[in-house]
Amino acid sequence: MSAEPLPVSAPAAAPGQWRGVLARFRRHRLAAAALVALVLVALFAFVGPLLWRYGHDDITPDNSQPPSAAHPLGTDSLGHDLLAQVMRGTQQSLLIALTVAFGAAVVGTVIGIVAGYYRGRTDALLMRLVDLFLTVPTIAVAAVLGHNFAGSGGGWMLIAAVLAALMWTSVARVVRGVVLGLREREFISAARALGSSDLRIMLRHVLPNVAAPIIVSVTILVATAILAETALSFIGFGVQPPDTSLGLLVANAQSAVATRPWLFYFPGLVILLIALSINFIGDGLRDALDPTQTKGPRRRRYLARPAARTEAVPDDVLLSVRDLRVVFAADSGDVPAVRHLDLDLRRGEVVGLVGESGSGKSVSAAALMGLLPPTATVSGSIHFAGQELVGLPEPQFRRLRGRRIAMVFQDPMSSLSPVHTIGDQVAEAVRVHQGGSRAAARARAVELLDTVGIPDARNRLDDYPHQFSGGMRQRVVIAMAIANDPDLIIADEPTTALDVTVQAQVLAALRAVRERTGAAILMITHDLGIVAEIADRIAVMYAGRLVEVGTATDVFDNPSMPYTRGLLDSVPRLDRPADEELWAIPGSPPSMTALPAGCAFAPRCAIRTPDCSAAVPTLLPVTPGHLAACLRLTPHDGAPPENATTTSIPERP
Amino acid sequence: MEIVGFALRRLLVAIPVLFVSTFLIFLAVAKSGDPLAELRERQPPVPPHTIAAEEARLGLDQPVLQRYWNWLTGVVQGDLGPSVDRNADIGMEIASRLGITMRFVLIAMLIAAVLAILVGVVSAVRQYSWLDYLFTSTGFLFLAMPSFWLAVLLKQGGIELNTLAGRTLIYTVGDSSVIPPPTLGGRIADFAGHLVLPTITLVLINFAAWSRFQRSSMLDVLGSDYVKLATAKGLRRRTVLRKYALRTALTPLVTVIALDFTAVFAGAVVTETVFQWRGMGDYLLESINGRDVNAVMAWLLVAAVAVVLFNLFADILYAALDPRIRRVS
Repeated sequence: MSAEPLPVSAPAAAPGQWRGVLARFRRHRLAAAALVALVLVALFAFVGPLLWRYGHDDITPDNSQPPSAAHPLGTDSLGHDLLAQVMRGTQQSLLIALTVAFGAAVVGTVIGIVAGYYRGRTDALLMRLVDLFLTVPTIAVAAVLGHNFAGSGGGWMLIAAVLAALMWTSVARVVRGVVLGLREREFISAARALGSSDLRIMLRHVLPNVAAPIIVSVTILVATAILAETALSFIGFGVQPPDTSLGLLVANAQSAVATRPWLFYFPGLVILLIALSINFIGDGLRDALDPTQTKGPRRRRYLARPAARTEAVPDDVLLSVRDLRVVFAADSGDVPAVRHLDLDLRRGEVVGLVGESGSGKSVSAAALMGLLPPTATVSGSIHFAGQELVGLPEPQFRRLRGRRIAMVFQDPMSSLSPVHTIGDQVAEAVRVHQGGSRAAARARAVELLDTVGIPDARNRLDDYPHQFSGGMRQRVVIAMAIANDPDLIIADEPTTALDVTVQAQVLAALRAVRERTGAAILMITHDLGIVAEIADRIAVMYAGRLVEVGTATDVFDNPSMPYTRGLLDSVPRLDRPADEELWAIPGSPPSMTALPAGCAFAPRCAIRTPDCSAAVPTLLPVTPGHLAACLRLTPHDGAPPENATTTSIPERP
Repeated sequence: MEIVGFALRRLLVAIPVLFVSTFLIFLAVAKSGDPLAELRERQPPVPPHTIAAEEARLGLDQPVLQRYWNWLTGVVQGDLGPSVDRNADIGMEIASRLGITMRFVLIAMLIAAVLAILVGVVSAVRQYSWLDYLFTSTGFLFLAMPSFWLAVLLKQGGIELNTLAGRTLIYTVGDSSVIPPPTLGGRIADFAGHLVLPTITLVLINFAAWSRFQRSSMLDVLGSDYVKLATAKGLRRRTVLRKYALRTALTPLVTVIALDFTAVFAGAVVTETVFQWRGMGDYLLESINGRDVNAVMAWLLVAAVAVVLFNLFADILYAALDPRIRRVS
């Protein structure tokens, strides 16, 4: 980038970013090896002929010789040295393929960017042009045009031009797709607002951001071009004798496979090697350029270690979690997600589990449902209605899911199958655990949809999810959750993806469900407003640990952990003057791979002391039933310290 | 009814595209050389009035735009125009050859698609297992394999097998025996026998890319929220995979296969030359070498119409598979 100040910096690839790409590419061992192989083939093709004693059109007296010291790859029936011919053929094929890829990259990029940037009529017109090129088999048109030029002696350049003219469409489609998405981004709008010309925006802001997909699709195109050129030469419309190409060499050898196999195998294997290397390089580049696509660790199966429990779980406690830990295996090592969670839920109780994203609340929920990915290791104890869930075999877990524990996910737009009807999906939730006829399940589905407030439910059974609004879809998900009268509903940010007015309706539906079925609800959210409306008790998580828990009144009126206080202060409230500045907790949540020692919140805490970074604070009672983990805590009413080790939650007052 | 309207709209969009592409290709072929060159240079010389009559018969005495117009009006009325070969009727020729080519193209596409789905789904469900690694490396190998080389390799394998057995176990040349078997059953068996090697060639070079695509599409779906919710409902993993994952992961492949139809057709051209089938590929090469404009045009027209029809079929299939598409115009 030039020294000229840019008001809005585009997230273009900085030099450091490319270094990262290089490092990631090198780690992709197969791709790195393929690159080495390709460089060797290129040296063979371009430097080899300078060193080798025979030229590709030299006729030696040894005809039809199998490989020997004088002719490492043998000779053909006219006495051509095959090594010299393969070198020349590889050179021609590589030249053509690289030129095709370059030409197609330029044309495809320009057309793709223009189509994606201007959209509308320009886009429609250019896409029709792409359609046009997709209508006819490339090789047929190339054969027609190749035949046109065959006599004119244009050689490899003309073949390359013809193939490039036919192959730019794949690049154009990829680029257009990326640009269409990019155009909505702020830095493009900002550049437009500042009056930059379209050309300048396309060159300075759009082009650098489509570089990655262009590089990948052009790399793959080199392989496609090699295969197209050799096929074209094979059927006689590509490179013409006396010059040669790998395709032509194979064509000449096809009748001699049995008698002079070397003529057939060597050129073919070189094509295979080139195309294979390029595909591997493309694969490596894709991974290197898009770190989010990197593959997860390949080992590890789901491990679970239930902890032995000494204390008995009281009858009215439905769910009792003790010292729950979840660790994910990643390429860079183990990442803890939940470090220590103790939580009790009574029958029919609504508990709000609050925390910022990344605090471990959703992972905890997945652990309760047995839905963690295979890279997770779970330890501790989850006691649910008399059963230990940590380490529970899948068949038993499956019978709990949907029947005793049900779940409502965050985004109703993506949590329903787009290709099955609403009625089918709800009725299935009934039948999977209760059996019965389809008709009965459908009737029950209507009842359930009525319960969650879907108007005219009977007539909407055969509709698909895309015919419902977000709020209505979430009601459908809730209807599925209550299909089997579960004891516990885990709602993972059930309203986050919805409009504020719809949020209230969905919350009302959840409240109605609770009243009707008596199910306990674990409401996972980062929104304290929602918790205030629905929860009996509140549990606050920070960096994978529970830091405060108590009744809604306790926590709201007397937040004892500084983090909770910060959360409450950052909620906009009607009882405060509108011009009062909204408070935000300074700093950001710590990375789970580099957690600070001691209290994880200490670096952001206003009242921290040096001791805070020395020891992890345990949950201590503030008042009966209200616990918080903070060293600065001064126990109210002088709560007895002997209670400090137990984390079970006393009776509600 | 929705689907029919949808299909009709798609068809209407295709017409201008076909119009422009035929025009461009007509120009290219018409400019490619003189189809009567061989006649003119014949020794002893052919009388000038014979050449003039041939020129008039083929329309070579008219300007190119006029020739395109004549061709276009002719095609609309079902006349593909005269061939350079006086004894050949282009329509009849194409019809018989299209039948031969489509026979193995369609069978190969069907087998390749089924294979790609199986391999892709198994690789995705058993991601990073030895099976996945095996399928992935096989996929990469066939992705890089030149179709003609594979075809010759298979043909040679067939020949060696026959030599070994001392009789024709597997046909390596032609689309049917020169002397057809007398019975209908025999003829069908004969057709099928000749189909084996070309079909295997086409299947192997096409299924690789499709299976890679199916694998990544299945992986996407397996990570989706609705698959998680289906699991959370308490469904068996088998049911989740079959009903929710597979069902949605199939739709993107339909589009890819439709877009690849031209590539399969091109692969068929090459495969036919190796196995010496008298199909579309053979006719194209023959017509180009003979500078037979009308025959090349008819070939490309048929190929283009096949592509358009195939895409139309894919669109309808897509709409049938994905309820979200039906509503969008």
